[in-house]
Amino acid sequence: MTHLTVGMPWASSHPETLLAPWWAEVLAVHPETPGVATLTLRLEDDAMRAGYRFRPGQFNMLSLPGFGEAAISISSDPAAPETLRHTVRAAGSLTRALTRLQPGARVGLRGPFGVPWPVEALRGEDIIIVTGGVGLAPLRPVIAYLRRHREDYGRVTLLYGARTPADLLYAGEYQAWKHDGIEVLLTVDRAAEGWRGPVGVVPVLFYRLRPHPDRTVVFSCGPEIMMHFVVYEAMARRIPFERIYLSLERNMKCGEGLCGHCQVGPYFVCRDGPVFRYDALAPFFHVEGL
Amino acid sequence: MANPLLPLNATVALPKPRLGDLLAALRARDYTVHGPTVRDGVLRYGPVISPDDLPRGYVVRQQPGRYRLEYTGHGDYFAVTPGPDTWKRDLFPPRQALFHLRRNGEGWEVVAAAEKPPRLALLGVRPCELAAIHVQDRVFLRQDFSDPHYRAVRERLFLVAVNCLHPAETCFCAAWGTGPEATGGYDLLLTELDDVFLATVGSEAGREVLQPLGWEPAGASLLDLARQRLEAARAGMTRRLPVAPDRLPDLLLSRLEHPHWEAVALRCLSCANCTQVCPTCFCWGVEDAIALNGDEVTRFRVWDSCFSPQLSYLAGGGNARPTVKARYRQWLTHKFASWQRQFGVPGCVGCGRCITWCPAGIDVIAELAALTADREEDALQGGGR
Amino acid sequence: MCAEIPPEITSALRRIPWFQRLQPRHFAALAAIATLRRAEGGEVLFREGDPQDFLYVLLEGRVALEMHVPGRERVRLMTAEPMDVVGWSSVVPRVRWRTASAVAVLPSLLVALDAPAMLRLCEEDHDLGYIVMRRLANVVAQRLMVTRLQLLDIYAHPGTEGCDDG
Repeated sequence: MTHLTVGMPWASSHPETLLAPWWAEVLAVHPETPGVATLTLRLEDDAMRAGYRFRPGQFNMLSLPGFGEAAISISSDPAAPETLRHTVRAAGSLTRALTRLQPGARVGLRGPFGVPWPVEALRGEDIIIVTGGVGLAPLRPVIAYLRRHREDYGRVTLLYGARTPADLLYAGEYQAWKHDGIEVLLTVDRAAEGWRGPVGVVPVLFYRLRPHPDRTVVFSCGPEIMMHFVVYEAMARRIPFERIYLSLERNMKCGEGLCGHCQVGPYFVCRDGPVFRYDALAPFFHVEGL
Repeated sequence: MANPLLPLNATVALPKPRLGDLLAALRARDYTVHGPTVRDGVLRYGPVISPDDLPRGYVVRQQPGRYRLEYTGHGDYFAVTPGPDTWKRDLFPPRQALFHLRRNGEGWEVVAAAEKPPRLALLGVRPCELAAIHVQDRVFLRQDFSDPHYRAVRERLFLVAVNCLHPAETCFCAAWGTGPEATGGYDLLLTELDDVFLATVGSEAGREVLQPLGWEPAGASLLDLARQRLEAARAGMTRRLPVAPDRLPDLLLSRLEHPHWEAVALRCLSCANCTQVCPTCFCWGVEDAIALNGDEVTRFRVWDSCFSPQLSYLAGGGNARPTVKARYRQWLTHKFASWQRQFGVPGCVGCGRCITWCPAGIDVIAELAALTADREEDALQGGGR
Repeated sequence: MCAEIPPEITSALRRIPWFQRLQPRHFAALAAIATLRRAEGGEVLFREGDPQDFLYVLLEGRVALEMHVPGRERVRLMTAEPMDVVGWSSVVPRVRWRTASAVAVLPSLLVALDAPAMLRLCEEDHDLGYIVMRRLANVVAQRLMVTRLQLLDIYAHPGTEGCDDG
């Protein structure tokens, strides 16, 4: 079990009970792609806001009274934790309500939770970030970190795809990322009018690279089947399991390893993940329905 | 003539008619006593005011998928074995209000659900159930975090354990070493003989309650009798684990695609009975209940089950465990394998409830045997048990 | 070997990884049936139903594979990137004509290999034939993976009425 140290221990607003949230004000709701919006939140409690720190890949449990809670990755820059961005896909009643909030609304927040991407420990390596759809959201903090510390890393490449060009998340930022030395290779499953970029699936973007297996690390997040193929492509290029990190997603009710919902084999995705090093995950990842 | 001060772990003889005095002593110390009672044709745990509320004269016949409570008129209070209820109902209620959310201008405020935690004395806790409480202690009270609701009840709990002299056919506590004799973790321990209870002091609180009651020293013949009956009870349990407990995690977690999972899935109804009656199962979900005026919401914690398809629902549609096979495998591997890695102890205590209360009569011992068999032939034999 | 191979052909072929691994006699044989082709953005290389004249290897630019589906707009299936093979079916004997169209999306430079000649070379020299067919098997395998993942529509959101939340 890979228990890495996390940004800050989660502190409850009401330790005499479970799941009591802090409150955050919605500063902005920015529509991203169809069905997806980014909420910018600001914790109301001054002390909590001043002390809040998160690491890339961690998540918060966001809630609305009457709707329950959901685990949403933090997608902002870890160096600027006074405001927290959460990219939400409207997939159920809670997330749909979140994407329809107006600035000034209040959202319950608990966190941060989860094992982060170990990017700080991988100085000097080449990093390949492979992601699809909203899977880019939990990796955006990694990109922010890499942009700030670009000289400390080798080649940094983003392989990213979505269903259609309109579904490419954070499209307005790619230019800035490229400017800061991050190679961005895009693809879409289905082309649309005016799209002159690649059409195909994300794993195929690997064919454009020649990674050095002993100094490359792969970070991947996205539909699980995409990650299966990412692992195959990494293996085909002899990248060892210890250099592949995946972020998993499971139904979470507590986010803290108490409610039993998010298990994958012996792991709780909220406590032992969501970021897993692939050697720990390998015995379980391909088992159907685990 | 006052009796000498009882040392810890001392065993004395309490005449059976004094059982009511024990109950009164607990009530005088502000405990609400819960114990086995007969209700709706089964044993239910509920308030016990007098010894008449206990299942004196009853026996239980349990088999895979079968439960019968019968009155035979014998003189024992605790000759029964556990029914569908478990003590987790008191420590980890099926529906627990966590807090209220009250509208406050633009936002909401959290108002703790003001509940005085109950001060409970559990009477008749079997050794397997004692073990189950200790397993749940590891789940709810951890180094880095403890569940405040569980802790509040647990801290106030008084445990009167009862050694088990009439295990059911479905019991297998002996296989785990969790019974039929309790070895610690109680305040008082009773062993029922014909005219007396042997009462063992397990804690300071237990000593304090027992001390003033009308007990007598326990003679060697009584202690021998108790030992013999416990031995007979132990020997009477023939179910064995197919492999040593510490081998189960590696074996099961490496056989996740064993063909036997398909076979058991054909019989399993995914009805979740086993998770309801299991004294260690702890999965829970969250429900928000909105008051009619819309200005107050209560957030509840509710029991959940890995057999519920909703538990493994994936955001945006799809299900991580879309088949009965996947859910059964999750339950069995969690209980017998993953649990050890997560909490350092096995998740099963051998109470046998899951076998009794499974409408399909699925026997976990047989399933484990089939899954851990060395060769295909052994697997086929094990499955037919 | 009679004719001189133009140097631009040789240098173009040397850019292609699997050509770099060919034995000199195989390289020469393929070079002899190779030409360079430039395509402007929007230019059609071949259409469905066309005879299978060339096997292409894309050196620069981007080529889209499309199909005309009666009643719908042209469907862009996938794109080929530099070093990808375009028109693999021209060297598979059973397939008689192009199964898809190829359109240059960006200004492109391609190596065009005479397909019937290539088939003859493969028949005459089974060593070369094995290398070519193995390469094509990889190409088709990759296309199949892409097609399957596209078919699975992995980003689709089947219904937003979730039972629990998220």
